[in-house]
Amino acid sequence: MFNFAAEAINTAVIGKGLMVGLGFIGPSIGIGIIGGNYLKSVGRNPEAAKFFGQALVFVAIVELFGLLAFASTFIVK
Amino acid sequence: MNIPTLNFITRFAADDGPAIHVAPAEIFHVGGVAITNSILYGWISITLITIALVAIARKVTLQPKGGAMQMVEAGADFISSAVVDAFTDKSRGRKYVPFFVTVFFFILLNNWFGLIPGVGEAIQRGENPVLRPFTADLNGTLAIGIFTMVYVYFASIRESGGIVKYFKHFFLGSPLNPLYLVIGILEIFTDLTRTLSLSLRLFLNVTIGEIVIAVFAYLGHAGGFVTALPFTLVELFIGALQAYIFTVLSLQYLAITVNHATEHDNHDLTEDEPHETIGVDRDRVGEATAA
Repeated sequence: MFNFAAEAINTAVIGKGLMVGLGFIGPSIGIGIIGGNYLKSVGRNPEAAKFFGQALVFVAIVELFGLLAFASTFIVK
Repeated sequence: MNIPTLNFITRFAADDGPAIHVAPAEIFHVGGVAITNSILYGWISITLITIALVAIARKVTLQPKGGAMQMVEAGADFISSAVVDAFTDKSRGRKYVPFFVTVFFFILLNNWFGLIPGVGEAIQRGENPVLRPFTADLNGTLAIGIFTMVYVYFASIRESGGIVKYFKHFFLGSPLNPLYLVIGILEIFTDLTRTLSLSLRLFLNVTIGEIVIAVFAYLGHAGGFVTALPFTLVELFIGALQAYIFTVLSLQYLAITVNHATEHDNHDLTEDEPHETIGVDRDRVGEATAA
């Protein structure tokens, strides 16, 4: 018979994994939307390629929330 | 053990995951003040940056010679054109070029100095690395962020012409309107989070880069150098990108206020004129009502 209760499970590891994993979903979708829309607009109007720098700025804004999720894992003990 | 040891020797002995440090560690004390490894490396890199940039600036000629000078010139030109383009009034924008170019090169070179082999987890003294990139320490990036935002606030107040006019920019219309009042106060609080978001973004990007490099150097065991190399190259790109983003975001925070002040020098949103509408010529509105 397996006795799961006998082993102490460190739930903090599970929590950290969930925090990083779920926290990175949002920014990944957001960066995908930004990149996709940038390429779409360049495809329609090649002059829009000059806004690459601005697209990167928005990537940085979106990315911050994923990084915050990562940083929060250090609070979990 | 108090002597610096190379990490790849100890890595064979203990197999308990890569050594990862998020916070800077104390190295020694000077008169009761703790000197951390990031402060130590910050001093070293600031000295190197100053010497290198002063030496390059002395050699500026009409026809640039040498790779380093061309790279510095390209970076300075890139940022100064971005600064001037951000402002509707170009002569106002030109005043802020030196500050933003300085911030850009300071962050860029600090990020890149952190990627030199030997900085980070490689050389350790006891439990902690001896050298740590200056931008991989929240205290360091917070100092850069606070300094930048204080400069931006002072410049915006000066450009708007007084602190009352500066705060007026946050309100769409008269602050007596309860909706505009709430939105304006919310905008002011949003503005205050910018310092933290600027410094947190830079710190987390650089620190996560350090962690990724440490993890892949650990996974490679004896060939750690080879496995960490692609991620070091990615970090070279990310270091440049983050320096650009820090500069451009703080520049935009300044440019929004300054452009707003330039546009509304003679025009107050609260005055009883008909609002500008697409397709309606402002001068003709009076004629239409008169006719």
